[in-house]
Amino acid sequence: MKNIKLTVNGEKFEEQIDNRLLLVDFLRDNLSLTGTHVGCTYEGVCGACTIHLDGDAVKSCMLLAVQADGHNVTTIEGLSADGGLTNLQQAFNDEHGLQCGYCTPGILMNMADFLTENPNPSEEQIRHGLIGNLCRCTGYVHIVRAVKKAAKMLKDSAHEDRT
Amino acid sequence: MYPAEIKEYHKPDSVEQVLELIANHEEGESLLLAGGQSAMQAIKSRMLRPQCIIDLQGLQELKTINDESETLKIGAMVRYCELVKSSSLNNNFTGLKDAAAHVGDRQVRNRGTIGGSVCWNYAAACTPTAVLALDGNMHLISSDGEIKVICADDFFLGPLDTAKSESDILISVSFKKSKTRSGSAYKKWGLVKDALPVVGIAAFVKLDSNGSCCEARIALTGMGVGAQRAAAGETPLLGSYGDPQSIEAATENICANIDAPTDLSATSDYRHQLIRSIGAEVILTAFKRAST
Amino acid sequence: MTSAKDPNSIEWLGERLARKEDLRLVTGKGKYLADIVIPGTLHAVFVRSEYAHANITGIDLSEAESMPGVVAIYTGENIKDRINPMPQAIVQPNLPAKYPTFWPLAVGKVTFHGEPVALIIARDKYIAEDASELVLVDYEELPVVLDPEKALSRNSTVVHEKDGTNEIFSMTFTGGENEEAQNSNEAEVNAIFESAPVVVKERFKTHRTGLTPMEPRGVLCDWNESDGLTAYITTQRPHIDRLALSDILEISAEKVRVIAPRDQGGGFGVKAPFYRENIIIAYAAKSLGKPVRWIESRYESLMNVGQERDQINDMEIAADLEGNLLALRNKGIADNGVGTTGVYWGFVMPFLGAIELPNAYKWPKAHISLKVATTNKACLTPSRAFGHFPTRFALERCIDMVAHKIGMEASELRRNNLVDALPYTSVTNEYYDSGDFLKVWDTLVEKADISAFRKRQSEALNDNRYIGIGFGCGVELSGVASDLLVPMENQPGYGAATVRLDPRGKVQVFGGDAPGGQGHETTTAQVVASEFGIDPAAVVVTTGDTGTTPFGSGSIGARAGSYFVSAVADACRELKEKITRILAYDLKIEARTEHFEFTDGEVIYIGDRSKKSSFVSIVERIIMFPINLPENEVGGLDATAFFEAAKPMICFNADCCVVEVNIETGDFEILEWMTTEDVGNVINPMVVDGQMHGAIVQGISNAVFEEFVYDDQGQQLTADFENYKLATAADVPNIDIHYATTPCPHTPLGTRGIGEGRPSSIPGALTNAVCDALTPLKIEITELPLRPNSIWEKIQQAKQP
Repeated sequence: MKNIKLTVNGEKFEEQIDNRLLLVDFLRDNLSLTGTHVGCTYEGVCGACTIHLDGDAVKSCMLLAVQADGHNVTTIEGLSADGGLTNLQQAFNDEHGLQCGYCTPGILMNMADFLTENPNPSEEQIRHGLIGNLCRCTGYVHIVRAVKKAAKMLKDSAHEDRT
Repeated sequence: MYPAEIKEYHKPDSVEQVLELIANHEEGESLLLAGGQSAMQAIKSRMLRPQCIIDLQGLQELKTINDESETLKIGAMVRYCELVKSSSLNNNFTGLKDAAAHVGDRQVRNRGTIGGSVCWNYAAACTPTAVLALDGNMHLISSDGEIKVICADDFFLGPLDTAKSESDILISVSFKKSKTRSGSAYKKWGLVKDALPVVGIAAFVKLDSNGSCCEARIALTGMGVGAQRAAAGETPLLGSYGDPQSIEAATENICANIDAPTDLSATSDYRHQLIRSIGAEVILTAFKRAST
Repeated sequence: MTSAKDPNSIEWLGERLARKEDLRLVTGKGKYLADIVIPGTLHAVFVRSEYAHANITGIDLSEAESMPGVVAIYTGENIKDRINPMPQAIVQPNLPAKYPTFWPLAVGKVTFHGEPVALIIARDKYIAEDASELVLVDYEELPVVLDPEKALSRNSTVVHEKDGTNEIFSMTFTGGENEEAQNSNEAEVNAIFESAPVVVKERFKTHRTGLTPMEPRGVLCDWNESDGLTAYITTQRPHIDRLALSDILEISAEKVRVIAPRDQGGGFGVKAPFYRENIIIAYAAKSLGKPVRWIESRYESLMNVGQERDQINDMEIAADLEGNLLALRNKGIADNGVGTTGVYWGFVMPFLGAIELPNAYKWPKAHISLKVATTNKACLTPSRAFGHFPTRFALERCIDMVAHKIGMEASELRRNNLVDALPYTSVTNEYYDSGDFLKVWDTLVEKADISAFRKRQSEALNDNRYIGIGFGCGVELSGVASDLLVPMENQPGYGAATVRLDPRGKVQVFGGDAPGGQGHETTTAQVVASEFGIDPAAVVVTTGDTGTTPFGSGSIGARAGSYFVSAVADACRELKEKITRILAYDLKIEARTEHFEFTDGEVIYIGDRSKKSSFVSIVERIIMFPINLPENEVGGLDATAFFEAAKPMICFNADCCVVEVNIETGDFEILEWMTTEDVGNVINPMVVDGQMHGAIVQGISNAVFEEFVYDDQGQQLTADFENYKLATAADVPNIDIHYATTPCPHTPLGTRGIGEGRPSSIPGALTNAVCDALTPLKIEITELPLRPNSIWEKIQQAKQP
């Protein structure tokens, strides 16, 4: 057992946990943040559990919860700071970028990080950026469209901020 | 699916503390965890059952890229995403960048490290292959304080096997900077994009002042034995200018001297064909990069 | 969720309304099965067979049982006298087959790698896995049956001894009901082949592949003596699961409630069978008196479910030199796997695949037969394109080969032979109700512009670039009518919906099916909004709970756009009748429903538009103030409607793609993908587009990347996503959709159900394009998967002098 202190979605937590507890289980079972999903076994390939660790998109099933000690975690529940929808979330709704929604939180977390690095992405870059997230419903077409739209919305809102 | 019991977890913040922890545990008890993108697969599937995990994330000193005058020194805990962005890799070491840019996916590259990858030396992995072609040196410190520098040719011993002993920690991977023009490239083929390589090839060429090749190194992966040198492909390139005939001779020589396995991903013959096709592309790119 | 309505549109049908369900799903507030928490829940982990075929000679539980935190362990031996075995009538088709007897945990022997052998119940899922490692099972290996053709031979080992054969099912689908008629039909077909100017004969093999919802399966069961069993199950058919659990566990049906969670992470048919895991988890919860939960791992999932398409089809086509198809002869052999899965038993998919084999083409004569063999592999489970992926691949490929032989454009040959007058009854007696196949086809071919493509192709070839074009099409069932579903699955086909108005004019809709991402909440709300002239935001949809919804056979076979929304519309119309009867009485006018318009929140008498009521007022008046009513009228507004068309219904799609093949490596890239479909009247084009995109990419992924592989001992080698490769976003093309719709005359809204037809037209279209690109080498591919490796081998063979 180990005592860990960490920040999740801006809130500070201190918990006693088993060394072997996976971060994804800590978030889901201990903190009831069930928006982070599990879609594969040990391989860490599906990406449904993607969260931000100190701002970087990583798969929470490939980390032990103890490794998040002292770090800052953001999950899908904390993606929007003000409780409304971010441009990215809105774009997924507008463009029908999800069907069953199971892979969606992971995709949103990955793409939020992606767009900060690639504010003006080409379709090829978006598709390459999505390799770590498997989606079975959409054929990815509307997902790519939604990410493109989000990039434009972000640019437009940045422009508005400046003017 | 879930890790077996892990009795101890440590996150030391210095190499000394790591060495002390290693020394305090019996052989086979402790595991050094870098980015964990491969090791966690093994831990979750219970192929590995470490009693003690020594997490290297606290070692800030291993997280930098030092671009020195004669060598490029990459800390063992430098992540793929940082390799991709580093301008220090732009010239001679583009091959390593090619490899790092296509390891797994964004999330893997945000966490996985060069050190973790070379020490794991998976049967089909991009980074060890690029490091081998680029003639990298692994800098290790042993728990008894011994400092070791092992060249790539001696370091990669086979799938999941390296010259690093359990009492060692990898500090950095260094590359000599070439005084004359050189270039490198890496490419892989997998059934889906950026998957583990069915065939991966890295090439490094050094050109003399008149543009002819004075040194060549080619490394391969996907043959079931981890990163391996393909020396047979190097000789035909020496003295050449990267012309199609020499390149073809290089890839044909590789095929003639490499046993390619047949498995779920590809037949032996097809692997040979991929060596021809990707090999030619990679060697040509290395020549082009060297001449510009 | 936005309800921004096109100001020019009178109704909500046809609007690209953003989905109502998205708000919770993009914020992490969805409630999938694994998100449901009942305090005190115990966790279940299965110990699964390591062998494909072996006797269980002993199970040692002592170490596992003594582990702290372990609550109970079940094995086949200790449950077999307490649980009724399968088969049970509710989950057994009305088809003559050999239904194996089985329990949820293996009794006596194991029959495939991954079969449940023991169940551990523990307080914590980590501990349950620890304990599962301590269960020691002694096996005595038996010879394995893996090849379906060998399985059917007389000297084969038999998987289920009591049947005395591995032939679980066989049938002839043409010529009539009795054997004599079938034989004389076959003789006529044979005669056509003997004199036909053109005959193509090939053996087509399709690999084991299928669909993998991103959310694996799961079951959470709770028991108490007064309410009985509440079972949360990832399922497409909660009402069937309820009856099956009642019968098997002998719990009186009123004490069984099955709830399919509102949010399910995809189904695609994989969540349609009745699985053995449901039985044992419910049994454990009942016997322990505590909630028990099992969440399937991906490893278990890939070992057990989503495996379909595994067939050999010996196909022959006879044609004349003008390209008229004269006859079709097909002998199919399907690899059923073990056949121990409720509802489908494996063979129901190949059964329907054989019925749907004739596709949209006019066949003067055909002989179609099928044999299905039990093997020591996971049971086939349904996957979108139920059964017809293999046969359609074979047919579409075979048609191209006929065209190559005659020297005709394959697209032209297809057009010449498409069914051009509907309704039509196929050679397998399948009824095609309505539509316009030629309109769909011509729309596609116009976009594809063959003559321009041929020019482009020959120019490319001059540069040593190999590009090709390929076509495929598919007739799909638009919902499954009782005529077919009763014999096929022992279940009714009708759609059912309850529409309930509340005094504030808001609407609740209850449906017994259980969707998994198809957007039912939004499209249903659009239908209701359109009928009542209100905002879709005022409509709430509940699905999947047998405690609150009317009986439904499940979210299967494109039932939503056909049967379910039709029931919703009919229920709304029934309520509109009542509303207008009472409103007419209140307004003191003689008027019937058709004299009123429901629009913009008002109910208006068309004859004098000043005579009207707000929708909310008249609804509130009928529910809350049921005084001064017309004679024989009572208050309240709640209606359940059942919809069943008189005959089965269909829809039709066609696909075209352009590929470029790398002649050096056999690798290929899809340059363009065009598709057309007659989906009838469209409720929400964005949702329908999404269904097509998904199905096409599933088809590409199935055809190229995915394959379940067993070794020669029956070990499953592809039970993780490192080895069972799904297409990523970087592997697949964009998709260009063109609608060519004809309203369905048999549904109240003119809609058709889609979703099941593709991906079966995809592998044919794709492989045809690859072969077209390789025309100079005269390569004909007859096997899937379509891998660069195998294409390269074909190229090498073709280059041999």
